Amino acid sequence: MQSIPTLLKDILGLFLVSTILGLTAQTILPNGIGIKTELTLVGSDSSGTVIPSVTINPNGDSNEANSISLEQAYSAYLEGSVIFLDARDQVAYQQGHILGAINLPAHAFMDSLSLLDELDSEQILITYCDGVDCNASIDLAGDLTMMGFTRVFFFFGGWQEWQTADYPTGSSP
Amino acid sequence: MNSTFHHLLESKFGKLLLLLLQMGLGLLFILASLDKIWNPGLFAKAIANYQILPLPLLHITAIILPWIEMLSGLALVFNRYPRAANLIIGSMTLVFTLAIGSAMLRGLDFNCGCFSVTSTETTMGSLKIIQNIGILGVSWLLEYRHWLTPGRQDH
Repeated sequence: MQSIPTLLKDILGLFLVSTILGLTAQTILPNGIGIKTELTLVGSDSSGTVIPSVTINPNGDSNEANSISLEQAYSAYLEGSVIFLDARDQVAYQQGHILGAINLPAHAFMDSLSLLDELDSEQILITYCDGVDCNASIDLAGDLTMMGFTRVFFFFGGWQEWQTADYPTGSSP
Repeated sequence: MNSTFHHLLESKFGKLLLLLLQMGLGLLFILASLDKIWNPGLFAKAIANYQILPLPLLHITAIILPWIEMLSGLALVFNRYPRAANLIIGSMTLVFTLAIGSAMLRGLDFNCGCFSVTSTETTMGSLKIIQNIGILGVSWLLEYRHWLTPGRQDH
């Protein structure tokens, strides 16, 4: 059987090569990220929360947005200055949505541009979708960022987390 | 019973089966790593969702972990340093399983980032844990054979 020191040497070797490859890849791959985890302040200075700012595509044109948790989404909701965008289809939206959210289905983004015309590009926008097995919120956040909105976040927990937490909801006929 | 099991593992059929399992496990981890390597940002997000890792370690983990999976997978497929690669894969699977279990216990519900970083892919849950237990079983079997064959060279 292989001796323990040799085995440890092999394991360390694999780790070392992986580290070198991983770091090198970040400079080559279009979606490469930095080593340092950037942090983002969500909300105002007094009531804001610091969350990891995860960049989806830092080297892309501008397709990036940050993820926020349920707590941050709710804190932003209470603050009132943010706009929630529901990325699900109309039927799902009508059945129930975050109170005050605007329906902007990710798959029909180009048909909904008029909705965004009046908004300031620095308006804080929070996208969400069902929360489990859906990435419409991420897609929509990417589209909005590409449009020039600079403060876009996606609430990955989405409708399911919001509903479970019993936070304010609305429905349309 | 034990002796029959040992004989089975030492037989030609057993050795072939173990080699196929080893290559299959390697291939699985190569495939699992591709999406994460291509989208380290999304993988970092998936890790962040677990709320386990300290924030400063988030990006560096998302950068290195997929490459460890890829390299260990390649090592198993090409039968180079198979024992080291298998121990790494087994340990990683154990940690992933504990992380999923811990997240489930805490009531978190999100994309597990196990085999893909997009939220339309695998979602975490009991099924994922069962799958991981299967992987751990294979990994244990691959490690166990080394205890049966003293003097085995792994390079």
